Amino acid sequence: MGLLRRGCTPKSAPLACAASCLLLFAARARAGNLELSLDLRAVASDGETSFLDNGLGKFRFDEDHQGLRLGRLRAAWNQPLGEVFTAHVEASAWDDDDKNLVDLTEAYLEYRPYPRAGWRPRVRLGAFYPPMSLENRARGWETPYTLTPSAISSWVGEELRTIGLEGQVEWLGTRLGHDFDLQLTAAVFGWNDPAGTMLADHGFALHDRQTTLFGRVGSPQPDPGLPKKELFHEIDDRAGYYVGAEFRYLDRAILDVLHYDNRGDPTVPAPEIRDMAWKTHFDSAALRIETANDWTFLLQALDGDTAIDPWMMLTWKFDSQSAMVARRWRHHMLAARYDAFAIEFEGDPALPGSEDGHAWTLAYTYEHGERWRFALEWVRVESDVPARVVDFGEPALATESKLEFSARYFLDFDFRQ
Amino acid sequence: MRSLRAALIALALAAAAPASPSTLSITLQKRDGKPLSGAVVSAEPEGTPVSAPAVRAIMDQVNLAFVPDVLVIPVHSTVQFPNSDAVSHQVYSFSSARQFQLPLYRGKPYPPVQFDQPGVITLGCNIHDNMLGYIVVTVAPYFGRSDQRGEFSVPDLPAGRYRVRVWHPLLNEGTALERSVEVGEAGETVEIRLTKSLRPAPLTDRPHSWGY
Repeated sequence: MGLLRRGCTPKSAPLACAASCLLLFAARARAGNLELSLDLRAVASDGETSFLDNGLGKFRFDEDHQGLRLGRLRAAWNQPLGEVFTAHVEASAWDDDDKNLVDLTEAYLEYRPYPRAGWRPRVRLGAFYPPMSLENRARGWETPYTLTPSAISSWVGEELRTIGLEGQVEWLGTRLGHDFDLQLTAAVFGWNDPAGTMLADHGFALHDRQTTLFGRVGSPQPDPGLPKKELFHEIDDRAGYYVGAEFRYLDRAILDVLHYDNRGDPTVPAPEIRDMAWKTHFDSAALRIETANDWTFLLQALDGDTAIDPWMMLTWKFDSQSAMVARRWRHHMLAARYDAFAIEFEGDPALPGSEDGHAWTLAYTYEHGERWRFALEWVRVESDVPARVVDFGEPALATESKLEFSARYFLDFDFRQ
Repeated sequence: MRSLRAALIALALAAAAPASPSTLSITLQKRDGKPLSGAVVSAEPEGTPVSAPAVRAIMDQVNLAFVPDVLVIPVHSTVQFPNSDAVSHQVYSFSSARQFQLPLYRGKPYPPVQFDQPGVITLGCNIHDNMLGYIVVTVAPYFGRSDQRGEFSVPDLPAGRYRVRVWHPLLNEGTALERSVEVGEAGETVEIRLTKSLRPAPLTDRPHSWGY
């Protein structure tokens, strides 16, 4: 397609977009909104060395990172620009070994005009998440049900970001006397050519550590001194795309489907980041049902493959499924989730690069007013990872568990013009 | 308020319908026999098109919800849409009976909106998709909403034949329920039981921060 130039780094894309739009609409700026939250954790974990520290552990907080930890320090700015444009910027600090102390997870401009005759378009430009998680529906792309999102959402937070242009058309049937709404989505993006490299390197994981736009993620490697991986780069000058649909029955049930293809050219190397363009495509589906007596049921499925072609085509097939049930009692909520995940490298589940695992998550959440949220979560992951034998001389099969307590304080400010 | 309005309307209609006043009582039941509350009920004399006088009504926005959830007004009435929330709202309607939009605002910056056509107007907020409200514009001189017992009554009603209409946002029986009712000297009692279950009510107690 040749739409993207290799010289244009991800650093320039969302920021330049946001800055120019801010200037463009500064004269018509309206009241902005600032959200701040501090999430502190107390962790007991027997997890193996975390993927963040170049290990094969499935957790963000491993055995060496127990005790009092920073869950997330988050600041988000929402700025209406004129009538139908809004700029949204998300910045976070995670207090781990990343390149920047504070970094962005999302930064985009949204165009959301008034509906006409039941139809409403929406356009997003910048860096943001593809619309495939019905789980991470809370502020800052977090899940309100558990501390740790599903394996699918964990992977999305780790490796995927739409840096480009997304268009949606929504048919608001519920405003026309019908029982359902329908939404169609299409996007063109760049700077996500390494997507898939983490699945091949360390497999699926269960964590709430979203990769920042300019940040790095660990990667299992023999030399721990080597720099970590940077994920949001354009390598092959080919734009990727996704198309999706969302079907909503009243406000009770939502079905999301998405087809994603980063159209990576697997033969193109990127020595500057010690990686290649990964050819990654997948299908995902999610169904969320909420009942009048406060039950939530959530099913998610992901199926795809990723490949590189350094001298021959190497393919990793991956899939994951997740089922969650949650029940609220006013400010209290209990949630239970089961995750299954598998990767098959070159069709052989015994090869390093393959894995097979599943996880159980139990969480209790209590919201005290609008400012405080307390949560207690237990996660247990069992995974069979042949690379543990080859890379670290450890048994392939490992069971990791953690108990995590979170206290989060939230503030928001409105700034009137 | 309702009795005062009914009295005024009865006065206005006295010349057109000289019969002695009676009471029309309407009782609404769901399919399972439980009371249907909050339904909009109107009674319109057949062959005598007389509307209630226009009013100035208020549809507020409180805690990310339209208040009241359903507002019923006579045709040609005006409605003010104050925003009592700390966050901005962007109110719209693309219903055929009245299309309008109120650009992003807080407080009460806009003049009232006039409603000159009868019908149901569905309200939304372009910022908060969970917000859903309704305005029912009626040509009937007698109207109101059923109470917790599913009852609505019009006292001091001139005897005659009336068209009774029932509407509820969750009604599954087509656009509206209608009955032709003869109100005699002794008044009339009408019981209407739905033949289909209501559609599921919106989930109102989810945290706003969860989004859709």
